[in-house]
Amino acid sequence: MNVDFILYIAINTLVVLAIAPLFVSMIKKVKAWTQGRSGPSVFQTYASLRKLLTKEVIYSPSSSRIMRITPLITIASILVAALFVPLIFVPEPVGGIGNIILFLYLLALARFFMALAGLDAGSSFGGMGSSREMSISAIIEPTTIIVFAALAFVFKTLNIFDMVSRMAPGLPAAPTLILISISLFIILIVETSRIPIDNPETHLELTMIHEGMILEQSGRNLALMELAAAVKLTVLMGLLINLIVPLGLATSLTLIGILIAVILFVIKGSILAGIIAIFESSMAKKRFFQLPSLFAMAFFFSTLIIIIEVFS
Amino acid sequence: MIIELFLLAIITLLAGTIVPLLAVSVNRRYIRTISLCCPIFASLFLGALSLVVLFSGETSGFTLYQPITEFSFSFVIDRLASFFLLIIAIVSACVALYFSEYVEHMDGSSRRNILCGFTSLFILAMVLVVSSANSFCFFLFWELMAASSFFLVTFEYTHDETKKAGLFYFFMTQLSSLFVLLGIIMLYLESGSFAIAPIHGASTLPITAAFLVLFIGFSIKAGIIPFHKWLPYAHPESPSPISALMSGVMLKIAIYGLIRFLLDVFTPDLWWGALILAAGITSAVLGVIYALKEHDIKGMLAYSSIENIGIIFTGIGLWVIFSASNLPLLATISLLGALFHSLNHALFKSLLFLTSGSVVHATHTRDIEHMGGLAHRMPYTSALFFIGAVSISALPPLNGFASEFLIFTAFFTSVAFVSPLFKVLLFICLALFALASTLSAACFVKAFGSIFLALPRSPQSEVAKEVPRAMLIGPGILAAACILLGVCAFQIFGIVGFNVPLPDMFLISLLLLGMGVLVYVVLYVTASREVRVSETWGCGSRSQQASSEYTGHGFSEPIDIIFSAIYRTRTKNERVFFDLKNCIFREGTGEIHLLKVFEEYLYNPISQLFMQVATKVSRFQNGCLDTYLLYVFVTVIALIIFLGWFA
Repeated sequence: MNVDFILYIAINTLVVLAIAPLFVSMIKKVKAWTQGRSGPSVFQTYASLRKLLTKEVIYSPSSSRIMRITPLITIASILVAALFVPLIFVPEPVGGIGNIILFLYLLALARFFMALAGLDAGSSFGGMGSSREMSISAIIEPTTIIVFAALAFVFKTLNIFDMVSRMAPGLPAAPTLILISISLFIILIVETSRIPIDNPETHLELTMIHEGMILEQSGRNLALMELAAAVKLTVLMGLLINLIVPLGLATSLTLIGILIAVILFVIKGSILAGIIAIFESSMAKKRFFQLPSLFAMAFFFSTLIIIIEVFS
Repeated sequence: MIIELFLLAIITLLAGTIVPLLAVSVNRRYIRTISLCCPIFASLFLGALSLVVLFSGETSGFTLYQPITEFSFSFVIDRLASFFLLIIAIVSACVALYFSEYVEHMDGSSRRNILCGFTSLFILAMVLVVSSANSFCFFLFWELMAASSFFLVTFEYTHDETKKAGLFYFFMTQLSSLFVLLGIIMLYLESGSFAIAPIHGASTLPITAAFLVLFIGFSIKAGIIPFHKWLPYAHPESPSPISALMSGVMLKIAIYGLIRFLLDVFTPDLWWGALILAAGITSAVLGVIYALKEHDIKGMLAYSSIENIGIIFTGIGLWVIFSASNLPLLATISLLGALFHSLNHALFKSLLFLTSGSVVHATHTRDIEHMGGLAHRMPYTSALFFIGAVSISALPPLNGFASEFLIFTAFFTSVAFVSPLFKVLLFICLALFALASTLSAACFVKAFGSIFLALPRSPQSEVAKEVPRAMLIGPGILAAACILLGVCAFQIFGIVGFNVPLPDMFLISLLLLGMGVLVYVVLYVTASREVRVSETWGCGSRSQQASSEYTGHGFSEPIDIIFSAIYRTRTKNERVFFDLKNCIFREGTGEIHLLKVFEEYLYNPISQLFMQVATKVSRFQNGCLDTYLLYVFVTVIALIIFLGWFA
């Protein structure tokens, strides 16, 4: 663990925390535009989070310690997972940080606790949310793992750092990258609970999944959960962006380089946020039990990449 | 020193067997305590000796008794054996600690002495199987293990369920022994000795056949699908500490057998690996899918054992594939993954069985739908179960993750090397492996949620009390081991001398802790600190009721529907209406029938076939003396003709 890496931890965490709410608002803004509304300001999410932090926390009498520790564990594991995807600056990887398998399982750790917290208060909404979330995460997992295995296969490394810094032994051709980016995009949509899987804007019990799980959270705990969701979105977006267009990523620590990288990342991220918003607006939410067929499609798509790669 | 320690352990275990059997009519606590202290002391000796052997890497062996020249009772302790001895030692010590209190809360007066004695005998048999130096010795102790565990399973023999489970278990375990014996005899015919030594030459038909027979024998014992049916019968019916021993340790003995024979006797072919891999993946996926459907807490754990054994078999299959295609590095990673998962599964599964034993003890039910709210009533047990649940769901930074990570890494890196056909196979297996892994997380969210969280769903769980402290120490040690092996996995492999591509989980744990503390401090300084405990929104009802909670069935319903092709659930609706247009409902019946696929399509037809054959054969035995004289007469005539023909 050298100085560079400690600085990387600080910079990456601060940047991701600072940018994440912005991307969330941007998606909302673009969605509002497509619906012909002007929408909230792009800084609305910051204000909402600040407001939540000043509110009291309410626990249901039937909830246990799980409810109390879940927000902290969720944000901690998502923030550690965020370290695995260099957003603006790529140092030398240390101690297995950047490993894609561990990255996936850190996300799973957060999901596990969220699902338990959903069951903890004993309300039927929470249980519904966690049941659906765990089911969806289970059936999307084969696709996710195949996409990540395809990444490892084409880059010939397991480390995200080496992939984005293009230091990996294998460099994929452009068509492969496009195929991978489509699969990663589907995973991004599923993992961050967006249309057509889930609707992040609704609190209607028939449709919600992720929002159902965190329905019992309030005050600063809710702020943490929302922030964790935003950070997860940003990290997955960052993974997609930096794998496809690593342009502008700093490899050494200079103030100018970091500044340019941050600006470039915000620009690239805004474009992707726009794409996500337009994708969401052009779709309707699917029925829950139609999702497996959607995932099957994604699965065959990602298997296709591998078959092309294996036999080419 | 090693041999002395080993003998000391054996003598202690023998003492633990004999003492309660001598005092079988004395219904006193001290007899059982003494008896159960023996496995604890023996475990200390075994643990010490296995650690010495693991670090030094030296092999020591000795012969105890040689009745004839071809066969002797001899024992060898090498690194592999000592690793499995370590598993036995840790789990038996914790189980015995727990058992010494648990047994006092059981029914059965002085008969419980026998239970304690047989527990020692069972542990002794497992120790001897692992350290056997020749295959016949291996088989003898294998059989001792099977027999002693049968008596443990059928302790509550008056219950009908237990009788059925015991019979089922006895039959399957004897079938396993039969296959193992057959395999050993085939090997003996091939090599001319009972030594566990390499058979040279290519894998000819007899050798392949011997492998297949042994593979089936070990698979039955390990609970690989489709030979798995005894686990969900035997585990729920036996006392919880016994389930912990059987699931945590005995299944690993079968794994040991498979690895030992593959490593020391055979030169495996590529397709053997594919076979083991396929068996492993099938068990992993189907095991966890059935576990999700199960609402008997111990039945669920039994199915989850099938899944984990599947994961271990996956690792072994990969090891065989890679070593047959000359990829020693990957082969080592896979084998280490399989071995490490054996250890981890032994730890967290016995932890889960022990804590679920406490839960059953407190609530007097095994149905998770009648539990709930136990997190408030049994805080320590729930915390321990929680650690087990996180471990078994393979979540970082605990130990289940570390071993599955090794297998994942082997999968991920292997695809660049093997032939295209195997690449496709490995990718499919990888996808299924990932599915099993996340489904098991879903399964344990459901289990923990239904058992410990929300409101109690039955009067018994309303009044449940925390178990005595003595029943927390054993699981506590196991939980601590789970955390230690997970967080320090990288360092531990380093100390033992393997350089594995594990991430430094200690660093990751520190980062997790650091982030958590940092966020807490920042919030403490900046955010509101007000906390109120109050009713939350309950759909307009005045106070929350247990009946409005999500149940375990409800939780797994989406998965039921998605995998309905596997569950083969038959639903039947019959409705009668008042009017002709079927608008006004009068009465109706509806039923959901869960098809037990393996039982109805595999086990029952085979058992029926056997019954038919047996009915025909039994006609020969009609109890009439004349008929038997006729048989003797015919036999003698046949013998005379036969001898006359050939002499």
